[in-house]
Amino acid sequence: MDIALIIESIQTLLGGVVLTLELTILSLLIGFVLSVPLAFMRASRSPWLSWPVLAYTYVFRGTPLLVQLFLIYYGLGQLAFVRESFLWLLFRDPFYCALLAFSLNSAAYTIEVFRGGIQSVPPGLVEAAQAIGLSPTKISLRIVFPLAFRTVLPSYANEVVGMIKASSLASTVTLLEITGLARKLVSETFAPYEVFIAAGAIYLGLTFLASRLFNLIELHLSGAPPDKARRPWLLKLRQAL
Amino acid sequence: MGGFQEQFLRGLETTVLVAAISGTLGMLVGLAGAAAKLSRFRVLRMIADAYTTIVRGVPELLVILLVYFGGTAALTALVGSYVEVSALWAGVFSLTVVFGAYATEIFRGAIQAIPRGQTEAALSIGLAPWQTWLLVILPQMARIALPALCNLWISLLKDTSLISIVGLSDIMRVAVVGAGSMRDPLTFYLAASALYLMLTSVSLLTFRLVERRMLAPLH
Amino acid sequence: MQTAIDIHSEDGRHGRGAATASLRAENVHKTLGTHPVLRGVSLAAYPHEVISVLGASGSGKSTLLRCLNLLEVPDSGEIWFRDEKLDIRPPIGQNGARIGDARQARRVRASLGMVFQSFNLWPHKTALENVTEGPVHVRGLTRRAATERAENYLRKVGLIERRDHYPRHLSGGQQQRVAIARALAMEPEVLLFDEPTSSLDPELTGEVLRTIRALAEEGRTMILVTHELSFAREVSSRVAFMQGGRIEEEGPPDEVLSRPASAGLRRFLDPAC
Repeated sequence: MDIALIIESIQTLLGGVVLTLELTILSLLIGFVLSVPLAFMRASRSPWLSWPVLAYTYVFRGTPLLVQLFLIYYGLGQLAFVRESFLWLLFRDPFYCALLAFSLNSAAYTIEVFRGGIQSVPPGLVEAAQAIGLSPTKISLRIVFPLAFRTVLPSYANEVVGMIKASSLASTVTLLEITGLARKLVSETFAPYEVFIAAGAIYLGLTFLASRLFNLIELHLSGAPPDKARRPWLLKLRQAL
Repeated sequence: MGGFQEQFLRGLETTVLVAAISGTLGMLVGLAGAAAKLSRFRVLRMIADAYTTIVRGVPELLVILLVYFGGTAALTALVGSYVEVSALWAGVFSLTVVFGAYATEIFRGAIQAIPRGQTEAALSIGLAPWQTWLLVILPQMARIALPALCNLWISLLKDTSLISIVGLSDIMRVAVVGAGSMRDPLTFYLAASALYLMLTSVSLLTFRLVERRMLAPLH
Repeated sequence: MQTAIDIHSEDGRHGRGAATASLRAENVHKTLGTHPVLRGVSLAAYPHEVISVLGASGSGKSTLLRCLNLLEVPDSGEIWFRDEKLDIRPPIGQNGARIGDARQARRVRASLGMVFQSFNLWPHKTALENVTEGPVHVRGLTRRAATERAENYLRKVGLIERRDHYPRHLSGGQQQRVAIARALAMEPEVLLFDEPTSSLDPELTGEVLRTIRALAEEGRTMILVTHELSFAREVSSRVAFMQGGRIEEEGPPDEVLSRPASAGLRRFLDPAC
């Protein structure tokens, strides 16, 4: 094993970190925005609201992300309405295909995570909000969701780490994020160990940072001291980064 | 689909085979890993910690690529001429390593969830430590670990599709080849989706049944 | 002459002239599951009245209180807020009774302050934020005005120095006082208390009862479901005793509690006999 080559590879592969992070963070954001309303529908007692969302999460969690990605990347172009509209400007670009696949996939997992949280909020806290006349939307967004999010934070952190790792599939649709660059580098250097280990080290660093960040958030939310709780967290965050 | 039905069937077999072997071996790795994590020996605990931390922090695809291309490079160096590792065994090895890491954490959590009094009661009636494990700890652990194992198994089924990238002729590979040669990616990838969905659904139903069986005498 | 008597009997129940009740339940029935919890209950709270509802657990008193602000929707009967009848849709088939006019329900609830047995403070908000939530998001006050108002009420319940504490850092008694401040900050017409001291340790009930007594002395209209007999006797202008989903006896506390007419109330007051 050539340590110098590993270090050299890490330097080259760091060039892919931006794309990996871009894909991961955007997918998580889109997935989050989609999943909040859908999780409320999924948690609803009305089957008309709950079932369509269940069908969505069941299919997306029951099939491999790679199939979903290829279906979008290779399959969408077959549809006339996609090819003949502005959508084609987006979906002939592998970046947007990957982004769409990752976002839909992430949303499916996130919906189920949030649903669990929503259903675990004590009914008394909702009643207290109803009793002061708060509207249903405000109850959902100001009381139920913040509480649900706190409960499921560890599961959501797993979801975030999972997304960082899943973004490596972008390499299969020609994108040169960390894994894509690594595969390219291997075909040039014929040094699979060094290059892939270098890539692994970078991913390990990213996933470690992500779980650390969520640990800090969790610590802040669960053990907040009584006064001015917000500031120590920022301090800790600054120290950590 | 121009004769691809049969190929899909063989792909399905390969997918199930790879998942079944990796899952079985991975369970053994997981048991060993959990034992190491709960061991008295610091070295074992450190090795197990490093194993689960590294494997769970790295993409599954990267593990497969490393094992496949790394294995090929090693074998080539060993033999002296270019030898390619079989995609199937590289895949099985990679997914065993991945499954084992997660299974380690699941088993460790499940064992720790068993009240201490259970072990003490077993030892107090004179059971040997190995009997305590086999008769008292393992059966209870299995019950606690079952739901998480079910999720892990479903992840494994889906992860097998990644081995197609290094050439395994599984469901995914058949879909890729078919989509290319018939110029009809929608149909082929939808067919692959349906097959995977069927596998995950059957798995879910089976686990439900097993769970009901296992929990029945308790409640 | 005939009409005059009719009007008098409509508005003048319990001999309070022509005053309109602040909050009134008329012949309310409610079944939870298969268990009939309320079987025709009528109760009216007139301005400045303090009504204590007594009864064994399971007598339906909490359900009655929850029906008054539609946290439970009555199967039949009427709820009136001043001269406004609340829109209630009776049960149809499998579906239970439901609120007909959600806006009306929200508006009326905002005018009925509710204090719960288990406090139900929102754990992710500080004491102050718990109190400002309603004024800002229901009443539409500016944050500054709401904060000022919240601080006033926290001061009133003696917890201004705890304004930035989260509920988990407050004792049960303190949490309940914050919950009272939260209800007061809506400047409600009527205050509803649902066994406010039942989940408190005995040494913490005093501070909460003192707070409630101060509110009673201000002349606020209150309906109080409680187990604290001597407290009820002191602060109430009227007590109602419930049993089996009905109001068995009702009247001034000295009368009702000193000379109970029904066997049920006698047993309730002195289980030994």
